[in-house]
Amino acid sequence: MELCQSVLDGVALAGEATHIPDVCFQHFITKTIEGVLDKSSRNTIKDDKVFNKLDKSILKEAYSGVLSLLLEAAKFDAETATLSAILEECKFTQDRIDILLQLYQEKKLFIQILLGNIGTSPPHIVDVDWRLDYYIKSNQLEKVNEPVYLISLKTEVPGKTDLEEVQFSCSLEQLQFLLAGDLEQCLLTSFESIGA
Amino acid sequence: MLLMFEDHHKEHLSFLTDTDIDVVKEFCRISMDFIRKGANPKVYLGAAQKLKVEPETVQHGVEGLMYLLTESSKLMLNEIDFQDSILTLGFSEEMRQTLLQLYLQNRKEIRTILSEMSMDLPHYHNLEWRFDVQLGSRSLRRQTTPTVLFKLHTEESGLRETTVLQTDPVNLVHMTKVLDEALQEIKSSYCRRILRNIK
Repeated sequence: MELCQSVLDGVALAGEATHIPDVCFQHFITKTIEGVLDKSSRNTIKDDKVFNKLDKSILKEAYSGVLSLLLEAAKFDAETATLSAILEECKFTQDRIDILLQLYQEKKLFIQILLGNIGTSPPHIVDVDWRLDYYIKSNQLEKVNEPVYLISLKTEVPGKTDLEEVQFSCSLEQLQFLLAGDLEQCLLTSFESIGA
Repeated sequence: MLLMFEDHHKEHLSFLTDTDIDVVKEFCRISMDFIRKGANPKVYLGAAQKLKVEPETVQHGVEGLMYLLTESSKLMLNEIDFQDSILTLGFSEEMRQTLLQLYLQNRKEIRTILSEMSMDLPHYHNLEWRFDVQLGSRSLRRQTTPTVLFKLHTEESGLRETTVLQTDPVNLVHMTKVLDEALQEIKSSYCRRILRNIK
């Protein structure tokens, strides 16, 4: 995990009691993490009354520094020792290091889930709908009398809020084959591999 | 169920009632060929010269037979109904037997051809799958996220299409469970009763 100088400068600003006083340090870190996890509180730190008396440009730099540090730490799943070494270099007091590490540990998993969702992937199947029809006749052919399944796979596509659908039909034999042949094999493999 | 012929169909086929049984057999062969591959008008000319009749008469004869075969197959007429249906056309007993044999031999193939012509929905063709574990991404390293990749092959009117999808083991269990319910549904007494009663 490597951080560039501008990030380290920002972090160092957050560590200085003259810029971010001890009384509002914990609130500052909490707001920063909230800004990552909750879309609606993104950048609300600038209007926060607690930081009324602080220099806005310094607050901004400190915020972006700590934000980058926390995101990088979560991205690399950094050990607390690594993180505290960086903070010591940035002249953080032990109290401030403890506060930051504690808040980070509490929310690390949530930040990682969020980071894991970034990126591309094929449409992800989350549900399936089915409909069973009995095909009796058509304009070309009578007495067909075959069951037909209409399957609709509901998928989540990265970057889109609505679910999308993949639809297809299959005969009874095909569905049996699909289930017994493919899906169950696939299930067995998955669970063997992850040791569940 | 009997097949009803309109007057012009009867007229078209009446040409065959006065010919040799071998001619009828040859016409039957041509009709099946045309049902499989589409009509070829050159054949009409050749046959017309041999039989010394108008090409149109030959064409009507072949088309009449094709209509007879496709309609009977479409309705899935049974042996007795087919015989009763052609009784009114004036064929000899021997010719009727030839037609019946032709019908029974080719019914399955004609129904397959007709089913290919029927309205088609994108339907399942094949499913390939692969089990992966995602180890990292640009925004998150050190992951162990199990994923299942699917390549679904579907077909519509002869055109193949592939869709790449993915899922995770939990959703895979859910999906298998829901599809298994779908499979069980057709075995329910309700479905079996309906299926038994639709003939």
